[in-house]
Amino acid sequence: MHPALYTIARALLAGVVFVPLFHGSAFAAQTATPDFSGLWARTSLGYEKPLSGPGPIENRNRRPNGASNLSNLAGDYTDPRLKPEAAATLKRLSEWAQRNEAFPQPSNQCLPYPPPYIYSNNQEIQILQEKDRVTILTMFDHQFRHVRLNAQHPANLKPSWYGDSVGHYEGDTLVVDTIGIKLGPYPMVDILGTPFGPALHVVERFRLVDAATARAFAERGERENGVVAGLNGDGVEINPDKQDKGLQLTLTVEDPGVMTGAWSGTVTYRRPIDDWAESVCAENTREYYAGKDTAIPVAQRPDF
Amino acid sequence: MGLRVLFAGFVSCAALVSWAHAAGAPASLPDMSGAWARLTFGFEQPKSGMGPIGRYQNKSNVGGNFNHPNLTPAASQIVKDRGAMLRGGVDYPNPSLNCYPMISPYIFRVQEFQIVQKKDEVVFLFMQDHQVRRARLNAQHPANLKPSWYGDSIAHYEGDTLVVDTVGAKLGPYPNVDMYGSPYSDALHVVERYRLIPYDAAKAAQEKNIRDQGPVATEQAASVDENYKGSGLQVEFTVEDKNVFKAPWSASVTMRHAGGWVENVCAENAFEYYSNKITDIPTAAKPDF
Repeated sequence: MHPALYTIARALLAGVVFVPLFHGSAFAAQTATPDFSGLWARTSLGYEKPLSGPGPIENRNRRPNGASNLSNLAGDYTDPRLKPEAAATLKRLSEWAQRNEAFPQPSNQCLPYPPPYIYSNNQEIQILQEKDRVTILTMFDHQFRHVRLNAQHPANLKPSWYGDSVGHYEGDTLVVDTIGIKLGPYPMVDILGTPFGPALHVVERFRLVDAATARAFAERGERENGVVAGLNGDGVEINPDKQDKGLQLTLTVEDPGVMTGAWSGTVTYRRPIDDWAESVCAENTREYYAGKDTAIPVAQRPDF
Repeated sequence: MGLRVLFAGFVSCAALVSWAHAAGAPASLPDMSGAWARLTFGFEQPKSGMGPIGRYQNKSNVGGNFNHPNLTPAASQIVKDRGAMLRGGVDYPNPSLNCYPMISPYIFRVQEFQIVQKKDEVVFLFMQDHQVRRARLNAQHPANLKPSWYGDSIAHYEGDTLVVDTVGAKLGPYPNVDMYGSPYSDALHVVERYRLIPYDAAKAAQEKNIRDQGPVATEQAASVDENYKGSGLQVEFTVEDKNVFKAPWSASVTMRHAGGWVENVCAENAFEYYSNKITDIPTAAKPDF
């Protein structure tokens, strides 16, 4: 080989050793935002109990296998954490449900689902991550919430259906903080009807978990809360690929006017097989608890 | 000598790596992200060719022009019936009134929307009743297409333009394709073209639409950021539906940066803007069944 070529070859070889190290070090120094893109689904409703600490209010009515009986909702109004007025509201709704009638709640009134109710009563979400904003889409009635990244709640906050949400990343975790949730006519934090007040404060922490952890939490959630088919008959089916990571949401909820102390719960999602399902409240007549469609009154001509 | 060799090698390889990254980097896409708003409901007429059917008369709450030559006889009758109902003081059933999803281009009556551009899809979020449409990038419509509320949308970029193609719209109980009462059928095909335009052009287009279609409609509470002097967004769409229109027609809407995002909840809104009162929603002391 010509001496000059030999020199060039040595130089390139040296560079090959140095440059990847330099670029690799430079890449490692950047903090990668976790990638939550894609669809996330689960086959149950309600919250998974925390591994420790106070959890959500439970359904007093259980199936023989111990799972929550979603066809007979009776929030535990005897939970000692509940303030008297909140306990009375939950008792009234429980007794309403015992008459085999659905008490009004956002999902059957086509109203927005505030957090954390929006997770208690949903089976699929999608997170759209942009540089200054995260948008969280939820399947039931095609809803979405905006989260302003690295921002503050405004000083003069006007209550709104979804509240004011600000977020930031802590390593591999997206943290979302929400206050200012409007009460509306049916304020509740879960499908049992546990009410909320103007001081409601919700913190959501999203992070990816390995496939085995996701499966373990999701299956425990199914044992605790039962398995439901999707609304409108569109079932949410989990992709059986055992290698897929899961997405775990940890919720911490505090509402001093309603309950003593904060409580936590999780919702663990996995990848669905199917595409996003359209779920339209104004169309949905499915009485999932009775396995039939509601007989909506019809009229030949308007009354007014 | 050794250090000079090492330095030369480093420089050479850094250049090679940079070139490789540069060669593999995607071409820049138009940045349409963010929230866009306008203050009117009506469509802008196309620069040329067939436009929308327009109003029956040049005033509000009169219904669509059922005499428009582009309507098929059956569609003309529907527009006529809906207009008669509206002139009688009662709004005809439509997705906005009845809290149903809105097909394109009817959905462009919503005065604010947000675009989120991802690598494999574009997501459109609409202010009115928190609606969501998705367009899969560089994809095909499926061979066995099940009709859905928003139809099946696919998209691709043509230089500075995002092109969205939608078929497979579900009819639902109140099929409306525009604000004039025109229905649609299962043959509906809509192509939307999104393009950033200069501030002056966007402002001029919005002001012309207010003069043509006005007045400014405030009940949706959308607002335009008057301090933002950057690009606007123009959406041109072409509609074909052989069962309703004899020929395809086009129109556009021009948006500017929004002043803020507004919650607009159909189940809550009982305001009859045209008669300036709250709708008398039927109430019952006890359930009938």
